[in-house]
Amino acid sequence: MSVGPMISDLLRSLFKKPATELYPFVKTPAPIRLRGKLIWDPTNCTGCQLCVKDCPANAIELIVIDKVNKRFIMNYHADHCIYCSQCVVSCRFNCLRLSNEDWELAAAQKQPFAVYYGKEEDIAHFMEQAAKTDAERA
Amino acid sequence: MAADTNKFVIPIGPQHPALKEPANFEFWVDGEIVTGASVRLGYVHRGIEKGAEARTWTQNLYLMERICGICSHVHATAYTLGVEKLAGVEVPPRANAIRQLMAELERIHSHMLWLGVAAHEGGFDTLFMYSWRDRETVMDLLEKISGNKVHYSANLLGGVKFDITPELAAEIHKGLDFLEERNHFYMKVVTTDETFIGRTQDIGTMTTEKAEFLGAIGPTARASGVARDIRVDAPYLIYDQFPVKVMTHTSGDLHGRFIVRINETFESIRIIREILDHMPQGELTTRVPRRIPAGEVVSRVEAPRGELLYFIASNGSEKPERVKVRTPSLCNWSTVLSLAIGLKLADMPMLLSGIDPCFSCNDRSISLKRGQQGPQVWSWEKLRQYGIEYYR
Amino acid sequence: MNLSLPPILALLVFPGGLFLIAGGLIYQWADRKLVARFQNRIGPRFIQPLADTLKLLAKEEITPVGVHKGLFFALPAIALAAALTAGLYVPLFGFQPASSFRGDLIIALYALSVLTLTMGLAGANTISRFSLVGATRTLTQLFSYEAPFLLSLLGPAIAAGTWQISEINTYAGQNLWLMIAQPIGFVVAMIGLMGKLELPPFDAPEAETEIVAGAMTEYSGRGFALFRLGKDVELIIGLTLVSAFYLGGLANPLEFVFKTLALLLVLALLQTAFARLRIDQTVGLWWRAGALLAVVQLIAIVLGRNLGSIF
Repeated sequence: MSVGPMISDLLRSLFKKPATELYPFVKTPAPIRLRGKLIWDPTNCTGCQLCVKDCPANAIELIVIDKVNKRFIMNYHADHCIYCSQCVVSCRFNCLRLSNEDWELAAAQKQPFAVYYGKEEDIAHFMEQAAKTDAERA
Repeated sequence: MAADTNKFVIPIGPQHPALKEPANFEFWVDGEIVTGASVRLGYVHRGIEKGAEARTWTQNLYLMERICGICSHVHATAYTLGVEKLAGVEVPPRANAIRQLMAELERIHSHMLWLGVAAHEGGFDTLFMYSWRDRETVMDLLEKISGNKVHYSANLLGGVKFDITPELAAEIHKGLDFLEERNHFYMKVVTTDETFIGRTQDIGTMTTEKAEFLGAIGPTARASGVARDIRVDAPYLIYDQFPVKVMTHTSGDLHGRFIVRINETFESIRIIREILDHMPQGELTTRVPRRIPAGEVVSRVEAPRGELLYFIASNGSEKPERVKVRTPSLCNWSTVLSLAIGLKLADMPMLLSGIDPCFSCNDRSISLKRGQQGPQVWSWEKLRQYGIEYYR
Repeated sequence: MNLSLPPILALLVFPGGLFLIAGGLIYQWADRKLVARFQNRIGPRFIQPLADTLKLLAKEEITPVGVHKGLFFALPAIALAAALTAGLYVPLFGFQPASSFRGDLIIALYALSVLTLTMGLAGANTISRFSLVGATRTLTQLFSYEAPFLLSLLGPAIAAGTWQISEINTYAGQNLWLMIAQPIGFVVAMIGLMGKLELPPFDAPEAETEIVAGAMTEYSGRGFALFRLGKDVELIIGLTLVSAFYLGGLANPLEFVFKTLALLLVLALLQTAFARLRIDQTVGLWWRAGALLAVVQLIAIVLGRNLGSIF
């Protein structure tokens, strides 16, 4: 039975640096396996859409421009994603990975969360089509 | 719980600084002595079991993981064990070893978190700050292994997602040494600090018979001498190769629960070291079909709070027929309500946190059949209307 | 040090009043920062207590249903007024007390007790269950530590042969530090101060995890700000009293700062080292150990004086 067994620890803490990490002034490097934002490399993608089927949060949408020539656009909803990396495992061609640098994903508008991956000309083509259908509907 | 209606009622909840999650406790007090207690749960009901029926087997893995934040891995493990049994698939031993390693790391994580929270409820903020600072070590380890500090998503249907490399193993060893030393210190504080002992000894004493009668499970029951642990009674994963020692205590009071949980932390550290030293070689996954054959299975694992039970029924398709979850915290509420009587009001928060409640795990729906009434089916509109009328 | 200011100026501006409130905020910051450092955290920035007070003054004050409105508004003001009045008689900031007469030790302690009483009354005023339990605990704690604390402050008074704080202060400055001459009394005074200020481990009356905020649960905005200012002023006055009596008197501002901050360091260490005591454990501790120790110290003093006069 003793009174105050923590006192020695407490006194030592007075002279130690506080255990708080002064983020955002100090940023410790993220571990390699950190599950951040999804990144898609379209080079090997065959359009099997297993990633779309397996995603628990319906965060991936694969838009087919040309199935024969394997031209796809991926619409990634970063606000739906739960960063579970199931899609990374489901893809048999290693097209997907979760970044370990891009994890500060807070934004004040909705727009940064609608991410489009693909070749430049494909995305431009898709945007034109989308704008045309919007204009026709309006 | 008969209570004199002209005595004072102290509500703890739904919003209260003592609770981390909403629940409605009502304590009838006479001065400072509690004379009756009642509880209402259900504030965190999210309809997960219903949602499970609309998602595929793979998607459900992540839904089940998110039932709770601190016991997420054991929920996912229980689910995959059940599904793999239905599919008749044998998982490679290395995958099971990694699953067990993550489960024991999660147990350390959960017990250290609980130590801080229970100390905070007793007014010992310093122990709270220190144990949570040291818990950062185990969270960093989990992040290095899995990529996330909570919701590790380690499981796949048929295996695990990642491997333990030798560098990681070295880091885990280093982290475990630090944690073991700190936990020895916390054991010393918990067993020798006079003020702390004054708050926990002989509070909420439960004899072995009473614990068995009330149906207590997990460390709460083990502190009263009930030596039940699913890892020993019905070994899953590779607990038969790396067995655990069941930690019990005889005092049955709040103090005993602290001691049992810190002892379990030491035991987990020992098991992890053993697994790291004798990790079976092999692959990480095995193939599981998309359509699981029809059948029913009950899968039980030992969560940090007690026995976790999953009942999974399949009808042969891509989506489950029924997933029923029975979490350990649900069994321990009756102990709180019956032990509260006769104690002082100041002991209530510590008693509540002594069973390590996880309200998010708790809220599943049960159907009561009253008398001759048959089962009713309510449409969404009718349910909504009922809710609006009830609170008017 | 002697400052001859008219009492009304001393009460409202310096060294009482605004200056005392500012000092109270600084000491609250010091207390929170020390506690945080002991817990290996960073702690609040310097301007935090002022920011808290300004924020509270700017917020809407909600009057709960079922209170006596006059009492609800008057009690925080009475609390702050009582605390500020007590500042007139103690050697604040190292200066001679602004107003001094025989027996002002009792008046100063009474004013501080009025502060605690108003908090208890404020809790009893509402129909909120948390406030009622908090009020009961506040008053119970008041009854338990008041006697030993008073007895421990009596020790230096007997040694100095007077009930006037300024004279006890001068006596303490000229003789051996009473911390060494009356060690038991010093311990009782220090622990008694923690009970008076409702610092952990004696913070059962405002136990956050049991009864939300105790007697002050229903207060918000201006009323809450005034109560907190009252408590900060009580902190600085209590530290002044105990260090003036036991740590060798406060002759000038430099001594004031060093001695009170040293005492605050010890208090912060004691705050962080223990779990909270239940109210019945507090009462038991005080009525058994506290009163016994205080009486033992008094007997030792009386014996010491009489034996000394024999030789």
